[in-house]
Amino acid sequence: MRHIPEDELHAYLDQGLSRSQCVEIESHLAGCASCQGMRDNIAALRDRTTALLARLAPPRSFPTPFDTIRRRAAIEVSARRRRVHRAAWAASVVAAVAFGWTASQIADSSGAFRTATGSPAAAPLAASLPVTPVAAVSPALTLARPARGESNGRRTTRRPLVRKVAAAEAPRVSVPPVIAPAELELSTIDIPAAGDFELDGMWRTMSWVGAQAETGNQLPHIDGLPVVQVQVQAGKQGKQPLMVVAQQLVSGEVIRTIEGPASDVSHLLARRTMSDPDPKVSSTDSTRPGTVVYQGVDGSMAMQRGDRMIAITGALPPDSLLAMIRRLNAALRSK
Amino acid sequence: MTDDLEQLYQSTYTAVVRFLYRKVWDAERAEDLAQEVFVRALAHRPEKPRAWVFAVAANLARDEARAAVRRKRHLTLLKADPIAQPTIEPAADTLVEHDERVASVQEALNTLTPRDREILLLWDAGLSYPEIASQTGLAVGAVGTTLARARRRLVEAHDRQNPNKGTHAAHS
Repeated sequence: MRHIPEDELHAYLDQGLSRSQCVEIESHLAGCASCQGMRDNIAALRDRTTALLARLAPPRSFPTPFDTIRRRAAIEVSARRRRVHRAAWAASVVAAVAFGWTASQIADSSGAFRTATGSPAAAPLAASLPVTPVAAVSPALTLARPARGESNGRRTTRRPLVRKVAAAEAPRVSVPPVIAPAELELSTIDIPAAGDFELDGMWRTMSWVGAQAETGNQLPHIDGLPVVQVQVQAGKQGKQPLMVVAQQLVSGEVIRTIEGPASDVSHLLARRTMSDPDPKVSSTDSTRPGTVVYQGVDGSMAMQRGDRMIAITGALPPDSLLAMIRRLNAALRSK
Repeated sequence: MTDDLEQLYQSTYTAVVRFLYRKVWDAERAEDLAQEVFVRALAHRPEKPRAWVFAVAANLARDEARAAVRRKRHLTLLKADPIAQPTIEPAADTLVEHDERVASVQEALNTLTPRDREILLLWDAGLSYPEIASQTGLAVGAVGTTLARARRRLVEAHDRQNPNKGTHAAHS
């Protein structure tokens, strides 16, 4: 005759067995004194355990009203939603940064940022202008401050990040790095108003897209740096406009690239430096026959080809400015 | 669902507090954690709220124990620092305040393995065998075996510490 195992009697007394198991056990117990004794011992052990554990009870207290719990839960749910929204926002920023970085890498690998000169002077540029980090950071800046830039009624500019990437891909990476100019400490170049300067036309601050359309994609700029300001002065009839594009380095410094008729650009530079209207002739560019490089007295560099002149101003070492202007020249020549 | 949770709160709150108290040994903290459990239940709306409530309570108690360990380490560091020593709080040594009878059961409970202790406390909180099984990962058939062992060991450990009282209690 099979007696009932101890654990089954525990389960039986704890009502942890199925109805059929209970019937089976009860029918056995009815005719087995040994198992009845075992059952009574287990019942006593069970009661004893309960009595011992009952000593380990906290002082009796009244539960907090359920409405209080409900209010706390409502707050918790709302906080959780906010966390989810924040997480989604952060994820989108990370995705945008990753995308910008990838796009920058693609642009680099396609040679979009290579200088055409191959001059050793390009080396300092790499040190002073970490293009890839800027490309990675810019989308984050864009997402962080779009509303403010727009609500201020400021112009919206677009950073020409991967201008030389295949046209089909370009729209996907043209995230506009809108940076409210009021938040930047712009360098102190003064764009003269009409009348102050012997140049025709009005200076207009434009969006990147608008300026690109108006100038036929001829805006002077350094690829990979976020654009913070575009200013254009229409030329005389049959004359090219004068264009000034301000871009920001990762260090926060702003550099400006200027392109236009040689006389206008040189006048502009002269007015800025308050020095001799004719910039000092620094050298001729051996890699570019027919071009003359000018170095200003305080952080400006210009390069003249025929009647056109491009210039860069910014608080950078002369060799960096030189490398940048060579790159700029190569980019404009390739158009 | 909310009404169900309210009913569960009314019927289970005390058991949840007791379950937590036996893990954190601090009545106020146990009540705070119990309220947190029901706040989470309202926020998550679990399908099986009763089992869920005890599962979350167990997790919170576990987190609390880890935090207590960290506090203890910090306390050790502070004790080594004679300047910081005056800022030491009395810590969780409130066990001293318990009377002897309570302490003896507590010590007996601490002699059980964590698994046996967990299952014994869940059973005492009123969970069914299937609920205990689903929460602990045991087979339902193994719950009875574990409970049988846990009960026996608890009583034996208690009687070892209090031979006269234990014998008397066993016969009473």
